[in-house]
Amino acid sequence: MKKLIVGRVPGLVAIGALAIAWSQGALAADIKIGYSGALTGPVAYLGIDIRRGAEMAIEEVNAKGGVKGNKLVLVSRDDEHNPVKTVANHRELAEREKVVAMIGTTNSAAMLASVPIINDELKIPILAPAADATAIIENDAWKNKKDNYIFRIGMYGRGQSNFLVDSMVKKFGYSKVGLLTWTAGWGVTGRGELNRRLKELGMTAVSDETYDTADTDLTPQILKLQKAGAEVIINYGLVRENAFVTRTKQKLNDTTPYASAWGIAAPAFWKAAGETAEGVLTSTTIIIDGPQSPERMAVLKKYGDTHKQEIEAPFGFFAAYDIIKLLAVVMDKVGTKPADIRTGLENVPEFKGLITHFKRPVFTRDRHDALTEEDMVLGRWTKGKLLQVHYETGKGPYVILDSGEKKFINTKTLALM
Amino acid sequence: MFEFFLQIALSGIATGAIYSVIAVGYSITYATMRVLNFALGMWVMLGGMLTYSLHVNFGLSLPITLTIILAVMSVLGVVGERVSVYPFVRAGSDAWIMSTLAVGFLFINVAELVWGQSPKAVPPYLGESVIKLGPLSVFPQHLLVIAAALVIFYILHLFYFRTLMGRVFRATAHNAEVASLMGINTRQVCVLSYIITSALAGLAGAIVVPITLAEPQLGTVLGLKAFAIAIIAGLDSPRGILLCGLAYGAVEALLAGYFYTGIRDILGFSLMILALYIKPEGLFGRAVQERA
Repeated sequence: MKKLIVGRVPGLVAIGALAIAWSQGALAADIKIGYSGALTGPVAYLGIDIRRGAEMAIEEVNAKGGVKGNKLVLVSRDDEHNPVKTVANHRELAEREKVVAMIGTTNSAAMLASVPIINDELKIPILAPAADATAIIENDAWKNKKDNYIFRIGMYGRGQSNFLVDSMVKKFGYSKVGLLTWTAGWGVTGRGELNRRLKELGMTAVSDETYDTADTDLTPQILKLQKAGAEVIINYGLVRENAFVTRTKQKLNDTTPYASAWGIAAPAFWKAAGETAEGVLTSTTIIIDGPQSPERMAVLKKYGDTHKQEIEAPFGFFAAYDIIKLLAVVMDKVGTKPADIRTGLENVPEFKGLITHFKRPVFTRDRHDALTEEDMVLGRWTKGKLLQVHYETGKGPYVILDSGEKKFINTKTLALM
Repeated sequence: MFEFFLQIALSGIATGAIYSVIAVGYSITYATMRVLNFALGMWVMLGGMLTYSLHVNFGLSLPITLTIILAVMSVLGVVGERVSVYPFVRAGSDAWIMSTLAVGFLFINVAELVWGQSPKAVPPYLGESVIKLGPLSVFPQHLLVIAAALVIFYILHLFYFRTLMGRVFRATAHNAEVASLMGINTRQVCVLSYIITSALAGLAGAIVVPITLAEPQLGTVLGLKAFAIAIIAGLDSPRGILLCGLAYGAVEALLAGYFYTGIRDILGFSLMILALYIKPEGLFGRAVQERA
């Protein structure tokens, strides 16, 4: 009997060792990335595209062997665009799911609510793809030069306003700027930022109009802007509000050039506004119509093949995609401890993302906004497509049509010449 | 200068017509049952979303679309009254205030699931080209809403004063108990009034959706403003509601035009409080004295 057992010891040891190795392998395999965003409710189109961007990037990272041989996994939660739920989700993701990093939310209020908890308690790096309030990054930790766990690859309020005003004043040459902003949250901060930038340039808005959610016809506002002699109208609103503006402009036969913040940089705007959207300008971080790089083309094709529809929120999708790829690069270098990832993110000297090729450090200790005003792009809605606006010195702004034809923009009416 | 005034007033009246068409719905059930469908705006939204599906997605003609909407909304009206009003009214409870709202939120959530959240365009029924009235411009759809409001109110007027059923409605409104003693099935009258309100909300949705865009939140704020108008005018006065709606739209637009948007709701709702202070039964409402 004794002999029997002793004789079997090496075999048992081998099985035990294998079992331990296997179990450890299984435990170590998953690197969890958390995401809380609106997956239902009015902004679900954005929340879902962010998740899809993250999923596609994770699939690609895993196909190439993951991070140091370990698989990436996305753990997502629906916050219904509700900051209270966001905070609870972030806590749960960090404490129970033990995620090592997170992708930011679909709205600024949710990010702002979560920022102090993440910086002071959870200490998990979070990268925002869509929420654009300036204070998300320039938070208390940032002001007090403490470790800031919040990063962003997306628009930021101040940069966007600077970009919009500067594009209109310096590149399109308008000197009389009229403002038209939404009285809901996003429009209010936008209005403040636009007025601030105009002041910095030594200007004041010739007319500073607002509208609220109930407005479906903006005749009073447009007529007042006309009377004030606005050469351009800059708006801060979303798809619906912008559609009401362009329709009212059509009704009043108003040809005043019109530009809006990035709420309309998605196909939903053309669907809602139709032909009245022709010529409208918008700022954004990425434009997917017109000529694209082969890398972007491949991803766009994959999106179409997988989801059988067009991207509804390109900026959210591509930002989430880049965020995962960037995290993979960082974790390959520094491992998966959240604090190390945070420091690692501040030390990526160059990164080729799909939104842009960062030929500078993506983030630094003091700068957690990856994109600067130089990375923002202006688009012109042209026959259902958002085409990027380029500039030629001495000749002005132009777009390139699908046919490859270069068309200059008449800055008096924004019509193509 | 005068053009500026007229153009703004005209666009305001067009918006006001939207309020009126929705607001009259509140009065119909209030008259017969002393009950309001607080979520009427959401029912209007449902009419709008159905219009988008039937008319735009399935390409059905407008008359067929409207017929289906009226039928669907009537059935929903029967169900809505049965589950969210009747049990509470019978029990003498005011919980219908909450339950009618709950049905509305249910509609919003269902709409979000079925149609998604992004606003969708429904092409205007009379084309996109702008009509010029001298120096003024107006969309044909806006004129259509004004015309539809007038027609709806005229038909309601005929119904109330020229038909037997209308008399039955008025009798029930006047005193349900006595009407019941006279052999009127007041329960049926109540259900019918809820059906008419629901169908009318669906119709209002179909009429306004080319202007408001089809989206799940379409009716939320509109329903609230329409409610304010029904209260200012007096819940028992359809004609007053029509006039108040048009006037409210015009005043709102003129305030935005001559002052600024922010002051509009402050003044609008202050006017409402003032009107109710002076005439609690509404500007066009009839004071009713309860006899012991």
